[in-house]
Amino acid sequence: MSIAIRLEPLGTQVKTEPGAPLRDLLLPFGVEFPCGGKGRCRRCRVRVLEGDVDPGAGGDAADLEPGCMLACRARAAANATLEIGQFEAPILADDRPFSFEPRPGRAIAIDLGTTTVVAQLVDLATGAVLGVRTALNPQAAWGADVMTRIEHALHPEGRARLRDAIHAALDEMIASLCGNRQPDAVAICGNTAMLHLFDGLDPTPLSHAPFEPVHLESPNGFLPCIGGFVGSDILAGIVATGMHESGDLSVLIDLGTNGEVVVGNRERLLCASTAAGPAFEGGRISRGMRASTGAISEAAVEGDGIRCTVIGGGPARGICGSGLVDAVAAGLDLGRITPRGRTPQPLELADGLALTQADVRELQLAKAAIAGGVRALLHQLGAAPADVRRVWLAGAFGNYVNRASARRIGLLEFPEETVEPAGNTALLGAKIALFAPDPTFRGVRVIARHVPLGADPAFQDAYVDAMPFPDPKA
Amino acid sequence: MPELRELYDAILNGDHKTSAAVTREAIDAGIEPMELVSGYMVPAMDEVGKRFECEDYFIPELLLSARAMKAALELLRPLLAASGAKSAGRVVIGTVKGDLHDIGKNIVGAMLEGGGFEVIDLGADVAPQKFIAAIKERNPQLICLSALLTVTMPSMKTTIEAFKEAGVRDGVKVIVGGAPVTAEFAREIGADGFGENATAAVALARQLLQAA
Repeated sequence: MSIAIRLEPLGTQVKTEPGAPLRDLLLPFGVEFPCGGKGRCRRCRVRVLEGDVDPGAGGDAADLEPGCMLACRARAAANATLEIGQFEAPILADDRPFSFEPRPGRAIAIDLGTTTVVAQLVDLATGAVLGVRTALNPQAAWGADVMTRIEHALHPEGRARLRDAIHAALDEMIASLCGNRQPDAVAICGNTAMLHLFDGLDPTPLSHAPFEPVHLESPNGFLPCIGGFVGSDILAGIVATGMHESGDLSVLIDLGTNGEVVVGNRERLLCASTAAGPAFEGGRISRGMRASTGAISEAAVEGDGIRCTVIGGGPARGICGSGLVDAVAAGLDLGRITPRGRTPQPLELADGLALTQADVRELQLAKAAIAGGVRALLHQLGAAPADVRRVWLAGAFGNYVNRASARRIGLLEFPEETVEPAGNTALLGAKIALFAPDPTFRGVRVIARHVPLGADPAFQDAYVDAMPFPDPKA
Repeated sequence: MPELRELYDAILNGDHKTSAAVTREAIDAGIEPMELVSGYMVPAMDEVGKRFECEDYFIPELLLSARAMKAALELLRPLLAASGAKSAGRVVIGTVKGDLHDIGKNIVGAMLEGGGFEVIDLGADVAPQKFIAAIKERNPQLICLSALLTVTMPSMKTTIEAFKEAGVRDGVKVIVGGAPVTAEFAREIGADGFGENATAAVALARQLLQAA
């Protein structure tokens, strides 16, 4: 007997037999199985919109959203419709090796992001990662961006709500990783606003100039922050990349909604946060979306046109950050976008999907915030881009962005060979903190200084100067 | 005789060196300063505003044109003052307390200047007292308040309330603007108007001061 499984949002239908593993059906459509189908990472979950699907052993774990099951465990049973768009941004875990002093016990490292939260259970004797949990930050219900959430937390009741929400989510993640046995240590890193919202502290100082928080430390396992909007996630990133130990000048860029930038070496590290906005995550772009099934993730010039790669290989539904950077780079090379950013005709990428003038302007603002921030910090150190030996790109977008395209649009003004994706440096740094927390982190805080860019006239100039695209003919 | 059309083009193209050079030539040739302002500079900045509205120009072009316009205006200012020429109105502009964002406010200031207004820029993170002092000392007809963050918008309300307490509110018109600001918010806090963007702010300023 043959049955039909309809896949949304692709709108395609596949024929199969009852009992066929969903994994085999969905793999060709871009559904990823990061943990290799062990039912552990939950990244392959799909939503059953209609019909019956056999969840298989462990495929309907209690902590999944209603209607969801793990595609790595489930099997086809009857005609059904599945939603396979992954529901969240790709969350980068980290399993890179690092040096440590072994000791008995198990501990938890947490990257508490504005959008997503990742928790790892680490064996302190071996450094091995025993388990990973990822979740969306439940505080997003009170605002996707940091400022809206701060606004909500200006009142004591709002503050308590946000604190309780994140505590409940972390408790659940830790319980699901550790069972009944309490972890021996917990290290959490996140930005300064997350620290305030985690500890239920009054975030008023973060809501207006000069944006100088009273609290940079927490008694509850949250690693110390550096200042303003530069948090312990960046401190962790510095430790993870080792830029605090190097004599060479290096740059760390975390490309998120708040693009954080660190420039320096073992003598001095200047840190700043720039308001890049959500363009790199597909936000405020007319057809923007997260990097999930149906997103244009790559684009390149082919003949007179642009050839796009869509995650999952189906029709394009939208464009994610890495696709946007590629597409604009291609538009510039084709002369369809001028160096000033003028886009007279929408840049056609796929059937019914084009970049508009407003989209290109959004990207200009985002990349100018980052490039201008780097320029302003280099300027303060009396250094030039040519003096930089290594550029670390932290975070998911940094992992997937094409370095040549990033250079073409002027997001990264460095030769490609100096630029290196660094993965989830916040999580790696938190893990390192589990082993040698105090001396290292305190040492870095001594040489790291927060630079409030908003008050720096040199930044305003650098920001505006960085808005046009590089002109190869100039 | 200098080619005055070059002044218009220089401002439109953001070329501050040419705009200053042509203005200098024009002054030497004895051309009336007001003729330069209303015949070439105001129309050029009007055109810059139009190009921004239709998305041809973006922030860098706007700022370059503003710089070219200012280069010409600096040279003309002493002459305009001496001739007793009347400006379209005197404006005090600033970003409200707690907010450091400068660029949007600078653009509005430049467009107002390009529109023939006399603009006194108090900068960013401006306390209500500083606005009040400027109102008392400089006697402006219009106050422009800017904010770019939702969390600093309440500071606009505080500023207008401070005007009332100091007894200076009724003598001036107040308009507000900035990315998160809406017409509804402007009404709520008792402002006289809301400028959606720099060109709208200039039109609103003209309208309010004419009615006054």
